[in-house]
Amino acid sequence: MRKSDSGERPYIARLLGEKRVVVCCGAGGVGKTTTAAALGLAAATLGKRTLVLTIDPARRLAEAIGSPQTARAPVPVADTRLAAVGIQGTLSTWMVDPRVVFERMVNRLTTDPAQAASILQNRIYRALADLVAGMQEYTAAEALYGFVESGDYDLVVLDTPPSRNALDFLEAPRKLSLFLDERIIGAFLPGAGGGGIFRSRARQVAHGVFARIFGEGFFEELQQFLAAFSGMFTAMRSHAESVRTLLKSDASSFVVIASPEPAALAEAAHLERTLTGDMQLPFSGYILNRSWAYTRGLLSPSQLELPANATAVDHAALAKLEQLAAEELGLAERDRRLLASLRHPGAEAVATPQLDGDIDFAALLLIAESLVACPSEDGVQPSHR
Amino acid sequence: MIDALLARRLLLVTGKGGVGKTTISAALARVAAAKHARVLAAEISYESPRDDEGGSGTLTSPLAAALGVPPLVDEPRRVSDRLFAARLSPLAGHLQFLRDTLPMRLLADAAMRSAAVRRFFHAAPTLAELGILYRLLDLLKQPWDVVVCDLPATGHALALAQVPQALATVLRAGPIHAAAQEGLATLRDPKKTTSVLVSLPDPLPVSEALELHEGLRKLAIDCAMVVLNRVPSNPFTPEERTAVERMVVDRARTLGARRLPRIDRAAVAHERLVRELGLPVRTVRELDDEIVARVAAHLGGDA
Repeated sequence: MRKSDSGERPYIARLLGEKRVVVCCGAGGVGKTTTAAALGLAAATLGKRTLVLTIDPARRLAEAIGSPQTARAPVPVADTRLAAVGIQGTLSTWMVDPRVVFERMVNRLTTDPAQAASILQNRIYRALADLVAGMQEYTAAEALYGFVESGDYDLVVLDTPPSRNALDFLEAPRKLSLFLDERIIGAFLPGAGGGGIFRSRARQVAHGVFARIFGEGFFEELQQFLAAFSGMFTAMRSHAESVRTLLKSDASSFVVIASPEPAALAEAAHLERTLTGDMQLPFSGYILNRSWAYTRGLLSPSQLELPANATAVDHAALAKLEQLAAEELGLAERDRRLLASLRHPGAEAVATPQLDGDIDFAALLLIAESLVACPSEDGVQPSHR
Repeated sequence: MIDALLARRLLLVTGKGGVGKTTISAALARVAAAKHARVLAAEISYESPRDDEGGSGTLTSPLAAALGVPPLVDEPRRVSDRLFAARLSPLAGHLQFLRDTLPMRLLADAAMRSAAVRRFFHAAPTLAELGILYRLLDLLKQPWDVVVCDLPATGHALALAQVPQALATVLRAGPIHAAAQEGLATLRDPKKTTSVLVSLPDPLPVSEALELHEGLRKLAIDCAMVVLNRVPSNPFTPEERTAVERMVVDRARTLGARRLPRIDRAAVAHERLVRELGLPVRTVRELDDEIVARVAAHLGGDA
């Protein structure tokens, strides 16, 4: 690998060296989970104690890293495996399990074990915690915060959930705050003190509406659930605020992952606008996955030698291969232009190569290397191997 | 095959993120509109709290982009002579639900204006999905011949059907219970509803498609067809392919030959889907020129 003359570190290496949280955003199918794992591996190469939180069950990726798909806590990649390729740091991975995260949160935030037990056994709680929808978003933010606070890791890389609005999880803490808004909760809690005539009128109206909608029995149960939960509300809300503060701080960085497809690129541009606009989050740049941009040192089919007794079939085959090669050069040119167009003040961009077949440990290492390699003069990093 | 598919009133187009569901949904809707007089293309749209509070819209409308129309709204709007498009949002579903449930329309509108009620519906997990489902059921009551629904990425696609199941166990009576039951009944009736599974010709997407199919099966939702999207074209005859293998020494380092593994994987993917699912598999070719053109258009428009 060529050393940069200026001594300036490429942007991904800089992020991995300086930040405590790196969040991978992007449309579905662009290789977010793979990139998150490769970023983790790259950070471990830099000597960091790294945790990769993935959201999407990705069995093959788990196999590539050698961690089980379901576990109650992060699983470290075997030291021997890392040491074999000269990696000094550590790498753990965890597929966020909403039920585990919620259970942990309930246990941590309630001082009374009996109260924790009564929450965890509540039928409504269990139904909510069991459902995939929405829970991934709540728990991703919650898990992230917990692990950063624990001090067990220098860096946490977060793979965001595959929702249509890729930034939903950022709204999760806020949404949680809204749900826990006292004005709503107050309307439900039986005999919640104070508030005067308006509060109690509001409660009656809400009671009337919800009892009609949900049925009387459910309403009572919801009240029990909220009563059991109410001791935790203040703590949960301040928690939600802390998550937002952490994600907005200098310690965090958002990277948008894209692939050279129109939908992914449109989503990427939209994500940058949202991150840097309304949300004011620390956006750093792009990773263009599965790019064809790396062509240096490749042979052209015209350099292939035809056998002395070449047949018409051989000639036809070679001509078709040359056609494919021409198309490939077109793709390479397209991806280099794309990469250049993604770079602008406030956004850097790096490409990872198109790799064949399943992602195994060696492939992840290759991606990790290309992420932190120094760009060469044509803007694409040197080809490997 | 297409006729059998379009005999159903509700087509759920589903697949992992990034496989091109939206493009396929738009194409299916156009095919349906060529055969039927009133076709609705719908996309699911979760408002963010910002949208909900009248803030800046942060949502994209991929189906609208694929159909070449302005962002979709709750009320169906005409795309062409026989094709309409709408978004399915939880908010519209919740409002309709309250109108159907509460004795007076005035009361429902007032309830929906109440910040507490709106926030509750928005923030309570699962109620968003229920709202979407309710809106979908409501649209199905209108005289559409076919409704093509572009479902979001896998997790949420299943959630749409998981939610009524879960809610029906929590709420044992009342209008939500009834709505959840009705939703389940519609989704599970193969005469009314079927799904189209979109996948890409690579091992991982195919595995995910198989898992998704299993998920649909568990939820008792019919699946009529698989669309294998972005299949690279194979220019070689078997003899030519053998000749190429003889000539190329290092595939990974030869331009053009780097694309051979993709062509092979596509063939394997197709065979695997046919074998494992026993469903019709339609392939859609990868159109590089089109992709380049669209990328160029995107970059031009964005600069």
